[in-house]
Amino acid sequence: MDLALIPNGVQRCSLKTFTSWAVLWIVLIVWGLVSAFLVFWKGLNQTNMNHYFAFGLWIVFDLSLIALGAGAFFTGFLTHIIGGIFLYPFRDNLRAVVNAAVVIGFICYSAAIAMLGVDIGQPIRGWFIFWHANVHSMLTEVSFCITAYLGVLTIEYLPLILSNRKLKQVPEFNIFGNTLHHIVALFAAVGTFLSFFHQGSLGGMFGVLFGRPFAFREGFFIWPWTFFLFIHSSIAAGPAFTLLCIWVAQKATGKQLVTRDTFTLLAKISGWLLATYMIAKIADTIGWAYGVVPRAGLSFMDFFQAPYGVWLIIAEIGIFGIIPAIILITPKYRERENLLVIGALMNVIGIVLNRFIVTIQTLAIPVMPFDRFMTYFPTWQEWGIAFGSIGYGILIFSLSYRYLPMFPQEPELNPVEVLGTVVTDSGAIKRS
Amino acid sequence: MELDRRNFIKFVAGGVGGTLLSPLPWKLIDDIAIWTQNWSWVPTPARGKISHIDTVCTLCSGACGITVRKVGDRVVKIEGREDYPVNRGGICPLGMAGQQILYNEGIRWKAPMKRLGPRGSNRWKEISWIEAIDTVSTRIRGVRQSGNPEQVAAIDGNQSRSSVALLIRRLLETVGSPNYLVMPGQEHTSAMVQLLMQGSDGPVALDLENADFVLSFGCGLLDGWGAPGRMMHTWGEWVSRGPKERTFVVQIDPRASDTAMKADLWLAPLPGTEAALALGIAHVLVKEKLYHKEFIEGHSLGFDDWTGQKGITHRGFSSLVLEKYAPRDVENITGVKAELIIRVARKFAAARAPIAVAGRGKGLLPGGLYEHMAVHALNALRGRINKRGGALVAGNLPLSDWPEAERDSAARDGLERTRVDGAGTPHYPFARSLIHRFSESIRTGSPIDTLFICSANPIHTVPDSRGIEEALKAVPFIVSLSPFKDETSLMADMILPDHTHLEKMTDIVWPTGIQYPLYALSRPVVRPIYGTRHSGDVIISLAKKIGGSVARSFPWKNFEEAVKQRAKGLYDAGGGESSPEGSVPVWKRLAKGQSQSKGHSSFQSLWEDIKTSGCWYIPSHSFGRWTEAFQTPSGKFEFYSSAIEAAVKNSSKGGSLDTTLQELGIRARGDEVYMPHYEKPGSGADKGYPLHLLPIELINLASGWIGNPPFLNKTLFDYQLKGSDLFIEMNPKTAAEYGLSEGSRIILRSRRGELRARTHLFDGAMPGVVFIPVGLGHTAYDRYLKGKGANPYEIIERVEDPLSGQPIWWNTRVKVVKI
Amino acid sequence: MKSKDNATGTRYGMVVDLDKCIGCGVCVVACSSENNVSVLYDESDKTRNISWLKIYRITNGKGFPETEAVYLPRPCMQCDNPPCVPVCPATATRQDPNTGTVSQIYTRCIGCRYCMAACPYHARDFNWYDPSFPNGMDRYLSPEVSPRMRGVVEKCTFCHHRLMRAKAKAYAEGRRDIAQDEYIPACVEACPTKAITFGDLNNPKHEVSALIKSPYSFRLLERLGTEPKVYYLSTKDWVRRMADNYLEGEFIDRP
Ligand SMILES: Nc1nc2c(c(=O)[nH]1)N[C@H]1C(S)=C(S)[C@@H](COP(=O)(O)OP(=O)(O)OC[C@H]3O[C@@H](n4cnc5c(=O)[nH]c(N)nc54)[C@H](O)[C@@H]3O)O[C@H]1N2
Ligand SMILES: Nc1nc2c(c(=O)[nH]1)N[C@H]1C(S)=C(S)[C@@H](COP(=O)(O)OP(=O)(O)OC[C@H]3O[C@@H](n4cnc5c(=O)[nH]c(N)nc54)[C@H](O)[C@@H]3O)O[C@H]1N2
Ligand code: SF4
Ligand code: SF4
Ligand code: SF4
Ligand code: SF4
Ligand code: SF4
Ligand SMILES: [Mo]
Repeated sequence: MDLALIPNGVQRCSLKTFTSWAVLWIVLIVWGLVSAFLVFWKGLNQTNMNHYFAFGLWIVFDLSLIALGAGAFFTGFLTHIIGGIFLYPFRDNLRAVVNAAVVIGFICYSAAIAMLGVDIGQPIRGWFIFWHANVHSMLTEVSFCITAYLGVLTIEYLPLILSNRKLKQVPEFNIFGNTLHHIVALFAAVGTFLSFFHQGSLGGMFGVLFGRPFAFREGFFIWPWTFFLFIHSSIAAGPAFTLLCIWVAQKATGKQLVTRDTFTLLAKISGWLLATYMIAKIADTIGWAYGVVPRAGLSFMDFFQAPYGVWLIIAEIGIFGIIPAIILITPKYRERENLLVIGALMNVIGIVLNRFIVTIQTLAIPVMPFDRFMTYFPTWQEWGIAFGSIGYGILIFSLSYRYLPMFPQEPELNPVEVLGTVVTDSGAIKRS
Repeated sequence: MELDRRNFIKFVAGGVGGTLLSPLPWKLIDDIAIWTQNWSWVPTPARGKISHIDTVCTLCSGACGITVRKVGDRVVKIEGREDYPVNRGGICPLGMAGQQILYNEGIRWKAPMKRLGPRGSNRWKEISWIEAIDTVSTRIRGVRQSGNPEQVAAIDGNQSRSSVALLIRRLLETVGSPNYLVMPGQEHTSAMVQLLMQGSDGPVALDLENADFVLSFGCGLLDGWGAPGRMMHTWGEWVSRGPKERTFVVQIDPRASDTAMKADLWLAPLPGTEAALALGIAHVLVKEKLYHKEFIEGHSLGFDDWTGQKGITHRGFSSLVLEKYAPRDVENITGVKAELIIRVARKFAAARAPIAVAGRGKGLLPGGLYEHMAVHALNALRGRINKRGGALVAGNLPLSDWPEAERDSAARDGLERTRVDGAGTPHYPFARSLIHRFSESIRTGSPIDTLFICSANPIHTVPDSRGIEEALKAVPFIVSLSPFKDETSLMADMILPDHTHLEKMTDIVWPTGIQYPLYALSRPVVRPIYGTRHSGDVIISLAKKIGGSVARSFPWKNFEEAVKQRAKGLYDAGGGESSPEGSVPVWKRLAKGQSQSKGHSSFQSLWEDIKTSGCWYIPSHSFGRWTEAFQTPSGKFEFYSSAIEAAVKNSSKGGSLDTTLQELGIRARGDEVYMPHYEKPGSGADKGYPLHLLPIELINLASGWIGNPPFLNKTLFDYQLKGSDLFIEMNPKTAAEYGLSEGSRIILRSRRGELRARTHLFDGAMPGVVFIPVGLGHTAYDRYLKGKGANPYEIIERVEDPLSGQPIWWNTRVKVVKI
Repeated sequence: MKSKDNATGTRYGMVVDLDKCIGCGVCVVACSSENNVSVLYDESDKTRNISWLKIYRITNGKGFPETEAVYLPRPCMQCDNPPCVPVCPATATRQDPNTGTVSQIYTRCIGCRYCMAACPYHARDFNWYDPSFPNGMDRYLSPEVSPRMRGVVEKCTFCHHRLMRAKAKAYAEGRRDIAQDEYIPACVEACPTKAITFGDLNNPKHEVSALIKSPYSFRLLERLGTEPKVYYLSTKDWVRRMADNYLEGEFIDRP
């Protein structure tokens, strides 16, 4: 039924199969929408956030999504900005994944912004950030940059959408798409700039909290170290996440979508960035432990109280930091597909863990000595929004995969056996 | 111009550009900004003229001066009055939240109500005032005609000398019933001590501000004791004198109460052993000859061994304490180290103006009579009676008496009958009212037909509250004058709702514990917002409707006229002040004694002055005058109370002394019976109930006259109340013994019943004792209160205090079961 | 990162004498009443209820009967270097350069709660629920302070409207200066033990300027550099120690 929309030269499952796959994610989306409705209607009392946990699951998700969505700007940066010169030999590999990276980025950012819209107490005043902008606020910077960057991502996404077989038939769309395609490098540059800042500002948001010694960091000019750590960690995790998504897509479709050396390349990039990030992160932790902490009159272990014990930092740095870094930078390991995937996955988990710790633990640790230690667990509505955004992401990704030529290498890697009639008017090949 | 494509685009572009340059889009954005702030359900407080009205808070008998800020005709804020003699600025949290009592219609009766469903089912029919007064008066006439006027009774929580209380008492008197009951209170115990040791019937007057050393036997001086506004102000005053000059406070308390924590020294005796501690201190004073020789020798009876009229030799107080209360022995009883007892005694003796005070917690519940006597004996030992900074002997306010009430023959008959509660009988010689005896005698077939309940919520505020509830069930007809949907009014058959404090005039005659004569008068600051009626007016209308001698005894047009008639005496007495001004507080002027009376030309002008200022007082006191001060048969301060002796004799007429003492619940024998001594409490201990239960009172938890207003809930910690769970306080060591930790859910079981609670571990709680806050556990009122916490009075065991007959509330044993 | 020169100009501040404070909660009720603070049915939920002034009970941790407990009332510290102000994305909270007081603009606040994360004193409360003044209790609301809507943050303003009132009065009388007793926040006025003193910390004529020089004066979490303008007095060393974090051996008891 939807054959007319399916890209040329590739095979897709039946609409029925696809529909049943989609329903799964639509259920999550509906859960999310119901939750969002309740939150808008009744207010943030639908969550388990409170005065102590002013931020909760959603901010963790936001920060994680944005970090993982960094694959988009970073791949764009590699492909369009320096790819032509420094990474020439890998140009094709990068081109093979850049579309997917853009789609993932779009998903992550749009979901994050939607979630932020739910997360503020006065959603209809959200635009006051722009109207009454406070230039000193890292959150203002974040808001400006991610909003602008979502625009960039949309522009980057558009040519892909417009290259849908059916849409392409509209001449205006075709011209528009082509034009965009030509200036994509410009957008990649803008996107890189914007991303650099908002990834950093997200880290900066916490690093500037000098009332919260757990998060507070010294830094460079107005930017605390967390600003740079967040950029660093996001570009380490972004490619790994892109890799993971593509790997999952391959498993789900049973097809090879990019060449194996593309995976290797992503793993290598991600691995080296993670390794260098780990060095920075460890240095930062030591610097913090010997600088900020004693100056606040506290000792390292004051910050690790059950259930937010020291195991968290061991997990973040040791298990989900150093180990994946070693796996990914060691050619011997990353050549083994299962290790490569595990490495990428651990990398991603490590960064999510980092975002969790930075948000939740910062708030959970009481600063006043006579204050109490609190714990927090999200409500079903909070989980609903979170899982809804996952459902949304998978659905958009699936739709994009089905109807858009997302993987340029796909037709090549999966030559189609013609078994049925060639349906000329649509150009698609139908399997009987 | 042709509208081609080109022109069209130009037109649109120009339009857009022009609009952007115009103020329109900015105005629109601004409007949207404003619109996003307009939430219809966020109230917009109405504006209006701001005015301030000075009056008096009458939510308790503490009588604080307040200023009510109004906007238009709405009350928006209550503040303390710097110029008011009692509190001089500060007020308590309850008074501060007064507007929530006025405006919370969820807790108020808005019109007279008649019960529809079965008792307690909370189904009502609104009726007119005419019908209400008719019904009640007809019933009373009926009771009178049947020849049993004593079957009309009243439970009254109004201050005993206030005009409403007098009207209610007068109604019963003229109807012919002796059954006028008041709520039990510590003032009753203190009053008895004054009567028994000094023979005086005046109010208890403590010159705390001028004291430099306060020995407090469990008084929650800062927890709402006495006149709370005055006490808190006094505390600030004490501390402000600086580290050297500040009044030294010794707090005797089994728990680290707020007062104990602020005190300079905290002694923690085992609950109920305070009398022994006082006598231990007395021992040191006697042994080390630190007592006031002149006072003791010249103005006291029974200090040394003495010979009475018939040549009988009596034992003196000094030899009693020397023999029985040596610090070591007292240490064994109280658990307080002997060295500490000696130290405190010496400090007490060395102080320039020390005072010893009794009355646990807020001082609201009756205390042990002998214990209070023992504490007061310390004041006598140091000659601190009627001295600056001591316990003053005060006369009553010079209020006029109303014309004698008329008693017809039915009334005379009725008044001859014995009180249902037995107060005043030889068995309870000093009691005027015994609410627990009342409820006991009612439970087994009610001798009462019609019961008025005024300004009282006994189902919630009296120990053994379930007993009261059972008793009320047996009364055929209950009339409640409560303005609130409280537990007791829900049990009534008819509600004749009163105004709340800000809507009416109330007089408080000499607020609790104040050391100079003070008459406080509140005025209505808003017109009544519902169809309620002043209880005073209701009583007057009822009397008029009953007719005959009853009606003739209530000649006043309305309540104000009755109050005014009494106040006339203030004018006649001359002197006194009614326009507080100047910055010198009254307590500083006491010795000087001169009054700056404005010299009112007429009573009317004085009355107007009192109505606006809310007070009339005499800023002077003549100290000393011991021979006049003591109205005892001996004309002296009596360590050996002849009044007790007479009462016991009277009680034992024809029987053996031993049996009489047993009946009176007194364990001591011989001369001790008539002197302050320590009575070992009845065997509360029981294997099954290893822990001691003590109720505690908190300044920010209204535990008496009214439900805690919502603002006060804000101030409770979540380890006092969390959700609907009440927390009891326990020492961590005791908790560990029972496998309990912070927040454990428990059942607290006494021989009377059980309640559910959770535990809060507090180092400041004495091991082996469970402390439970009083005031929560309401089953009435609105969502802010109902179903929150538990009421300890439901499981508190009532023990009768020897001699005074008052219920004692600190002798309950409990066990704790973890659930 | 100091936002203003705090040596000159008017800097309103408060001194709370913890030796006097008895934890009666009058200040809390006064503040709630003065500022139209709403009340939840379940006020025991301290993680959600609103109280601009919160009282903590701190103990010395010693066993019975050596236990000592002290109440510590905590309004907004009105930090001179407020961590909450620079973070607000919508400029909904600002520091008044003329008074040093940190304001809150409810109608501009978007409810992102970033300021709450920034404030180590938990001085900011978020409206998790619609404000509720049920059973006719909206009748006592004061028009001088606008009630807040659901979804915004609120906090102690040092009773800003009282400053406005005092200013208007002074202006009408042709004065520029406001005397010490002309501008007093509701909690200060209400405290029955007179434990709280208020005034211009920089004005030698105001009592607070002398009180903060007392050897017994201290502030909460001074080491973080927030420069609170709320000071405390306590003669007890353990109380002072509880006011901030100290490493072993760092805290020195007063001689
Ligand atoms: N408006 C208003 N009124 C109130 C309250 C309120 O909240 N608002 N609160 C109520 C409260 S909590 C209290 S405690 C009362 C105080 O009221 P009460 O305790 O009723 O009376 P007081 O007049 O303060 O003191 C009692 C006096 O009566 C005499 N008296 C009473 N009983 C006895 C007795 O058994 N023997 C002897 N010899 N003399 C006795 C003594 O002379 C004593 O001085 O006020 C109540 N009245
Ligand atoms: N929990 C607790 N129990 C106590 C005490 C305590 O403080 N706390 N104190 C003890 C002492 S000393 C006393 S005197 C008694 C007091 O106890 P009660 O005599 O029960 O009196 P209150 O609790 O003062 O007032 C009870 C009820 O009076 C009604 N009321 C309040 N104001 C008015 C009014 O203006 N007019 C009318 N008609 N009714 C009004 C309300 O319904 C209120 O609930 O309780 C004793 N028991
Ligand atoms: S102490 Fe009594 S009179 Fe004073 S404000 Fe409180 S309730 Fe009112
Ligand atoms: S009102 Fe005064 S004494 Fe009471 S808690 Fe507040 S600061 Fe402390
Ligand atoms: S106490 Fe908190 S809210 Fe107040 S100024 Fe300081 S940081 Fe801001
Ligand atoms: S919650 Fe309101 S005041 Fe706080 S940072 Fe966000 S917008 Fe600013
Ligand atoms: S200064 Fe005003 S706003 Fe701040 S706590 Fe005190 S009363 Fe409340
Ligand atoms: Mo009382």
